[in-house]
Amino acid sequence: MTIDGLSVSKVLRPESVEELTEALSAETGAIVPLGSGTQTYFGNPLRRADCAADLTRLSRITEYNPADLTVHVQAGVKLGQLEHALLENNQFLPMDPWNGPMATIGGITAADAQGPLRATGTIRDWIIGMKVVHAGGQVSRTGGRVVKNVTGYDLARLYTGSLGTLAIIVEISLKLRAKFPKTATAVARLDGIGEAGMLIASIRKSALQPISLEWVGNPNEVWVRFGEHPKAVEWQLKNLPPADWTISEAEEEAAAWEKLRERYAALGPVLVRVIGLPGTIHEIIEEYRPTAWMAHAANGIVLMTVPGIGVIQRIRSRYRAVIEKAPVEVRREVSTFGLTDTEYELMSKMKQTFDPEGRLNPGRHVDGERN
Amino acid sequence: MKKEFIALLREILGAPAVTDDETELLVYECDALTLFKNKPDVVVFPQTAEQVARIVRLANEYAVPFVPRGAGTGLSGGAVAMEGGIVIELQRMNRILSIDPDNRIAVVQPGVVNLHISQAAAPYGLYYAPDPSSQMACTIGGNVAENAGGPHCLKYGMTTNHILAIEAVTAAGQIVRLGNPAGELVGMDLVGTIVGSEGTFVIVTEITLRLLPKPRAVKTLLAAFHSIEECSQSVSDVIAAGIVPSALEFVDAKTIEAVEASVYKAGYPMDAAAALLIEVDGFHEGLEETSTAIVEICRRNRSYDVRVAKDDDERARLWMGRKGAFGAMGRISPDMIVMDAVIPRTRLPEVLTEIARLSERYNLPVANVFHAGDGNIHPLILFDSRYQDQVDRIFGMSEEIMKLCVGVGGSLSGEHGIGYEKKDFMDLVFNESDLEVMMRVKRVFNPNGLLNPSKVFPSRRGCTEVGRQTTTSTAEIGKRVDEVLRGAAH
Repeated sequence: MTIDGLSVSKVLRPESVEELTEALSAETGAIVPLGSGTQTYFGNPLRRADCAADLTRLSRITEYNPADLTVHVQAGVKLGQLEHALLENNQFLPMDPWNGPMATIGGITAADAQGPLRATGTIRDWIIGMKVVHAGGQVSRTGGRVVKNVTGYDLARLYTGSLGTLAIIVEISLKLRAKFPKTATAVARLDGIGEAGMLIASIRKSALQPISLEWVGNPNEVWVRFGEHPKAVEWQLKNLPPADWTISEAEEEAAAWEKLRERYAALGPVLVRVIGLPGTIHEIIEEYRPTAWMAHAANGIVLMTVPGIGVIQRIRSRYRAVIEKAPVEVRREVSTFGLTDTEYELMSKMKQTFDPEGRLNPGRHVDGERN
Repeated sequence: MKKEFIALLREILGAPAVTDDETELLVYECDALTLFKNKPDVVVFPQTAEQVARIVRLANEYAVPFVPRGAGTGLSGGAVAMEGGIVIELQRMNRILSIDPDNRIAVVQPGVVNLHISQAAAPYGLYYAPDPSSQMACTIGGNVAENAGGPHCLKYGMTTNHILAIEAVTAAGQIVRLGNPAGELVGMDLVGTIVGSEGTFVIVTEITLRLLPKPRAVKTLLAAFHSIEECSQSVSDVIAAGIVPSALEFVDAKTIEAVEASVYKAGYPMDAAAALLIEVDGFHEGLEETSTAIVEICRRNRSYDVRVAKDDDERARLWMGRKGAFGAMGRISPDMIVMDAVIPRTRLPEVLTEIARLSERYNLPVANVFHAGDGNIHPLILFDSRYQDQVDRIFGMSEEIMKLCVGVGGSLSGEHGIGYEKKDFMDLVFNESDLEVMMRVKRVFNPNGLLNPSKVFPSRRGCTEVGRQTTTSTAEIGKRVDEVLRGAAH
């Protein structure tokens, strides 16, 4: 296997946390934690890879308490596997990351993988506890097993999004939600950015509360999804601002979002996540005129293709921008996160304290930001 | 404390913003947890982040501990200067700097009272969701430090789910900005790591937070039960029906007794063993049906009286009873301590039965208020602090309650924080390795430990100490309280 052009010669496939800690204590050199590998392209370029720790065999759902709305999983459990297990109690983890049901919970957490479902937050809003393995094999836990807990520091927040560069996530406890009683999606195609922008603005000012609000281009489309009591869904559909809406429900709806996922996957080769505000995405799209984009309109985030490095620098003079996807050559020239000096300093100290020898995914996170 | 140090503080802030007057210092010797007291040497009242930074730098220079404080409503001793030093009172930083209704964001100073945020956002049809029961007094800075909750966090999340970005003064006295107004995680979630760090990482001086649109419709119900089991089963059935209430609060008979005897009198059913205050909100459409479904669930579980509030006034009265419950205890007891443990919600009946047994054994009455939706239990232990033997018994009883909650899969604190109060019980839930990692993270932010010392971590623990804490810690606490009550502070 290769990641960022580096070939990984040795792959550990532990079947238990104990196996992993033993292996780590024995290994020297750089370790690359791995889930399903759906996002190995994300991050600053990997500098060194002596050994990969494939966690997909840590795939047990160790405990599920429907009455408590909690589930405890090993990091290698796939999202689709989890969804299936929760179905019979009509519960779910409100995540629909673009990288799909094959992504592992550990991977989704380490990469802070996201999708168009944003009204229920992101993965960090659903994690209630974690167990991690440190570079030398030490094991530690944070949080707990209950949905509400302020006991000790919330280190799960630190590990989330850190790309396995602080510690390797091996177990995650999550809180769950009842499935939306009903969902429905309305899609409208618009002639131009101006029209689409105005439609989005009027939806945002209205009483509608979409669970997803996506502005996609080109061609310009507005996707609105509702998830609520059936009567409330019906009411919201009826009260959409006027446009040529196509409404879909059930299987048709699921198929439509699947198509959108495919469109996301085709975005590239350089895809940037621009962080603005709901009120500024229109001007972001106007200003940079990307050839293709997907915006989480209620959150102020625009995922857009850019032709090259120069545009990224330009964007970063005005907005935070994370490189969502890019060939390693590009990522060698531009930092993935665009950290401020404060962030760089603090995060470097964090990295230093957790992984002083720089063994975990070296170069992929803060330690690759300033080269 | 050196006189020259206090003089320097006066130079930085001006004399009206510094006090070392013995009487005035008494106000700051404890927070809402009155069992643990220690007077600071000086209290300062900064008005800007720059002033806070200068205070912190001076404190570092003289190696003086410093403790940030909001309104002092905390229930775990988090704002008490247990090692003396400076209390940095942030209540004068109480401006709402901006409200952006289009993007649903507010930027506020830490001393702003929680409820004032919602009041300021109200004209825009927006509000700030986390609603701790002390929201009429507590400050948002304190909320951020503790990751405060409240009854509506069941549906809307805790403080940490609403904080987008912060400005803070580091423990070394640098002013930093973290996060972004979209609340998007970039690299590492340092803001999320800081929320709930109980004032031991940084001193927050500005907060960018998320506002939500006010629900278009709300229905509030009160259901009375003759048995706790039936009440608890109703909660389980509501969850199983896929309903997501915005609040689900349990009060027991003793709580009802206190509330109905107080100014918070809400018309709670006096003969109930337990009552449930349930709220659902959202669109009008479908809300009636959801509310009816809840009524049916309660009736099916033999609730003998289910009421749906007819109007906003009745709603407000029902809530006043719940939110005033802690204060109402003053009607039936001179003192009380508020415990704050979490358990899996399904274990409530057995936990309450055991608490009742402990209450008998320790001969201390207990009232129970419970965030039934998320398992956060508040046993209120009633006592009279004039009797030393009662004070002594509290520590034994509260330790047993904590062990009970941890034993059924719960944890030490749902929303009040560890602070000073529960620090010696941290190893009921975390082992040496867990605590060592947390200590490491703390040292990144607060390397010399001058910021809010003696909080969160067990007392006699260095970073290399091994071994489990024994129950002598309770006696240790009792001894310390003894010393303090006998005036060791002087």
